[in-house]
Amino acid sequence: MTALLERPATTEPVVVASRRRQAGLRRELLGLLFLAPALVVFGIFSWWPILRGLLISFQQTNLVDPVVWVGLENFQAVLSDPLVGKAMANTLLFVGLGLVIGFPAPIVLAAVMSTVRRFAGVYRVVVYLPVVVPPVVAILLWKWFYDPGTGLFNQLLGLVGLGPYPWLQSPQTAMLSLVLEATWAGMGGAALIYLAAMTGVPAELYEAAESDGAGIWRRIWHVMLPQLRPVIGLLLLLQLIGTIQVFTEPYIFTQGGPDGATLTVLLLIFRYAFQDGQYGQAAALSVLLAIVLAVLSAVYLRLTRSWSTK
Amino acid sequence: MATPMRVRAALVAAATGLALTGCAGLTPAKNDTQSGSDVVLRVQGMPAPTDTAALAQFKRLVQDFQAKNPGITVEGTENRWDPLTFSAKLAGKTIEDVIQVPLTEPQGLIARKHVQPITDQLKQWTHYQEFNPQVLQPLSDSAGQVYGIPQAPFAQGLVYNRKLFTQAGLDPDRPPATWDEVRAAAKQISAKTGKAGFVHESKGNTGGWQLTMLTYAHGGSMETEQGGKFVAAVNDASTKKSLELLKAMRWTDNSMGQNQLTDQDDVVKQFAAGQIGMFMGTPGTYKLAKTKFAMKDTADYGVTSLPQAGGNATLGGAEVFMVPASVPKEKVDAAVQWLLFAQAEAQYEPAVAAERAKELAKDPKAAVGVPTLPMFSTAQQDKINAAIKPYVNVELGHFKPWLDGTPKLTLKPEPPVGAQKLYTILDTVVQSVLTKRDANVDALLAKAQADADKMLAAEQK
Repeated sequence: MTALLERPATTEPVVVASRRRQAGLRRELLGLLFLAPALVVFGIFSWWPILRGLLISFQQTNLVDPVVWVGLENFQAVLSDPLVGKAMANTLLFVGLGLVIGFPAPIVLAAVMSTVRRFAGVYRVVVYLPVVVPPVVAILLWKWFYDPGTGLFNQLLGLVGLGPYPWLQSPQTAMLSLVLEATWAGMGGAALIYLAAMTGVPAELYEAAESDGAGIWRRIWHVMLPQLRPVIGLLLLLQLIGTIQVFTEPYIFTQGGPDGATLTVLLLIFRYAFQDGQYGQAAALSVLLAIVLAVLSAVYLRLTRSWSTK
Repeated sequence: MATPMRVRAALVAAATGLALTGCAGLTPAKNDTQSGSDVVLRVQGMPAPTDTAALAQFKRLVQDFQAKNPGITVEGTENRWDPLTFSAKLAGKTIEDVIQVPLTEPQGLIARKHVQPITDQLKQWTHYQEFNPQVLQPLSDSAGQVYGIPQAPFAQGLVYNRKLFTQAGLDPDRPPATWDEVRAAAKQISAKTGKAGFVHESKGNTGGWQLTMLTYAHGGSMETEQGGKFVAAVNDASTKKSLELLKAMRWTDNSMGQNQLTDQDDVVKQFAAGQIGMFMGTPGTYKLAKTKFAMKDTADYGVTSLPQAGGNATLGGAEVFMVPASVPKEKVDAAVQWLLFAQAEAQYEPAVAAERAKELAKDPKAAVGVPTLPMFSTAQQDKINAAIKPYVNVELGHFKPWLDGTPKLTLKPEPPVGAQKLYTILDTVVQSVLTKRDANVDALLAKAQADADKMLAAEQK
């Protein structure tokens, strides 16, 4: 405003500036109009439940009678529950096994698929197919695969003199069994993303490396993987967040058993809320999980920002 | 200048968004208590379309009820009580006015005040005083208020496959009466047929639930009252014997098959396929095996009273109809009227029972005449049994061991405080015994006792 007052007394620039401002506002208004439906939907179905969850974590409620504010009691109850420690350890085991088994699998798969020339489309469809199968259906199918008596895996392994293995029936192998299914179910999508990223790597880089005498492994290590860093970083973060929230697999396969070996944090939250009716404790544990996820994401992003932009 | 414009723009955008996203649907539903002068009653328990005979009967019941009770409109839903949706529907006041729950749930629902007492309405019925008190006990609170009406009350027994018994050289007309006999029969079935001789459920709280009935048979209880409060009683000789028995059957006899992570549906499904020799269950599992899991040869189904090991007791079981706490008072009267008409009268009035049995028997897939515990007196039940006899399509003789043995047992209710939470704790114990060869029963029970005491203290604060 001061700048305008100091200008020569002509109205033309003021009018132009005003028109520009109006045009800018119109654009903003238009943008908001397009955004509005999404904002409303997010507000109702995401932000409002998050806010309610936060409030419920400080309340005692049966969802019918008036709520009672209980301060931090729900958090204290949750933190003194021995199952919480077990659920966290199990969840970390799932995350760890997911990183060791599930994370490299789609990269390897994509690398192999990128070298295939004939029937490439067929392979892509086959690889992606498990993603299309509804999770519950896939898990029920695998439940039969894992059956210790008549299951497919033990039948096949029996042909070569191996097994039978207890799979879901043993506390030692149950979590691994869940990770194998989750890897099968989820790697198709990630593999296609890696494949797309791999095809985007300029062929000259490989040719230059080859002419410098680099073999297949050095080409992968020094050319392909550095080029895929941003994608790998993103998918790693998504996998971490996804696996920490694992629920469907333990719920349908084992309901947390055997002997609590597959009891995860989300399954415990489910038990608090829907088996025990302790909605406050369920919300408190959810809030704690959200904090852990937020911290993890922040730390991860900070650590990988420079790495992924190198 | 810009700020008010932005606010206005945001308001316009939000209003447009609301219109675009059809937020009319978010407006609370019109109170359906009064539709004109009608009370609209939404009830769970309507049979699925695949159960054609039962569905037709349900629809006719609705018509008859509405004719007798002008001003009440009944809308059936196929829903049953579902822990995943119940809370949300209750909070949103969209839960049905009558819900159908398994007998493992009423005490939890009562403790959480998710259901409301219907004693006053029930007392207005002429035959209220004739209800079998054992049947109403699991549906009542400590003050004696009743919260529901059961459909076909049962006592837990031992379900067995008569064909596998015969193949194993056992007499299907003389099923095991003690747990020693169960162990021996299971071993024999497993050795001779290669099938699981006996299966104990273990997940989704059914492990703790079945361990409770096994403990009752061994003379124990899961909770005892001390100074007006309940404490856990799981770390005692009865539960220990029960677990040692399971451990011996699983690891020494190898007679429990290979699949140790099961719930009731898993077990009945395998039983219907002829893969299991014995499991603990009610005669109600006959209907489940026949209609849900398509058991081909129902003549193989046999059931006896729960075998004993010094306890002389068993646990009750049934599907129960209850009224959620969110239902307005003016609809509760109509809900109870419906329950008395649809459930209680058919279990009291021989003529009504006969008419419904006749109608149901038209479908060969239906299970007509599965014996139950008397919902009223034994004499009244005898009248019902006589009235429906021409239409019975189940092999009644195969239920005789259960009918003969059960009256000799004490029908014990579920643990009175936090039953489901106790079952969760005990699930882990059962799973340990069934999946770890070196499971230490003493250590498991000591931990379960400590966890259960802590849980009970919190429940009774």
